[in-house]
Amino acid sequence: MSRTTVLDREVAQAFSALSATAKRGLDDPALAELVVLRASQLNHCAFCLDMHLAVARQHGVSERQLDLLAAWEETEDVYDERERAALALTDAVTVLTDDFVPDDVYERAAKHFDETRLAHLIALIVSINNWNRVMVSRRIPPGGYTP
Amino acid sequence: MTTQETVEYATEHKPRLRWAQHAPEVYKAMLRLDAAARQGVDPRLLELVKIRASQLNHCAFCLDMHSKDALAAGESVERIIQLGAWEESAHFYTEKELAALALTDAVTVLTDDFVPDDVYERAAKHFEEAELAQLIAAITVINAWNRFGVTCRMTPGHYEAGQHR
Repeated sequence: MSRTTVLDREVAQAFSALSATAKRGLDDPALAELVVLRASQLNHCAFCLDMHLAVARQHGVSERQLDLLAAWEETEDVYDERERAALALTDAVTVLTDDFVPDDVYERAAKHFDETRLAHLIALIVSINNWNRVMVSRRIPPGGYTP
Repeated sequence: MTTQETVEYATEHKPRLRWAQHAPEVYKAMLRLDAAARQGVDPRLLELVKIRASQLNHCAFCLDMHSKDALAAGESVERIIQLGAWEESAHFYTEKELAALALTDAVTVLTDDFVPDDVYERAAKHFEEAELAQLIAAITVINAWNRFGVTCRMTPGHYEAGQHR
């Protein structure tokens, strides 16, 4: 049985508006793509991975950063401290059903991002989680995105 | 409480981050998204879905809000309490509600598994296509609120029913 491809236009626009607002406030397109890709890995969203690998390359994210993202915690010199703090927060906010967002993870992020940036970083993690849910639930195949 | 005995509860925590104040345009975008996603979803079912996702995501603020809203809308205490074990208390819910709750669980716990075919098909049996798409959107949106609530550690207990309508 095939799944629906329906996504109400108003809903889609509202999802997009949230993404755009979050990205604008974070103001770091390369970091945004790392965050978005990491959440998409955790949520197993094929469509989102395919799309954001292309976008990340457009924003100059290195192949090495893309290749090692699935094991970012085990790397040493691939991501800087700010990126690592953002990735740790991404993991915690994405895998919410297992645990709360631990204090050390939150505080680590708060050290690298002021409150306004942090609020937008959280919004970005929320936003890609939205897209992941909408795409995985409807099983939207990868490859539909052209840059 | 009617007795004179004073019960000492633990100290109430403060929120980590007042995200809506630091990112007001994000909050506005969330309100817009919430309004768009609830179109075409039965309000009574929507509250059940919101409570169930909030249980899975452990969002205290959201549980406080949506249980109060559900009660104020006439939902029964039993049906709210049994959401924590809905699979074992099927006779409290309609088949349509059960299909929506199963979908809620699958879409919410996305890091463990894909949304299984049987869960999707069960939902598709009870909801016509546009309604199902809106239900998926609504489940997604409560997951979004849960993420803000938990990450920013929003304090439960102060919500009054209907406050955010």
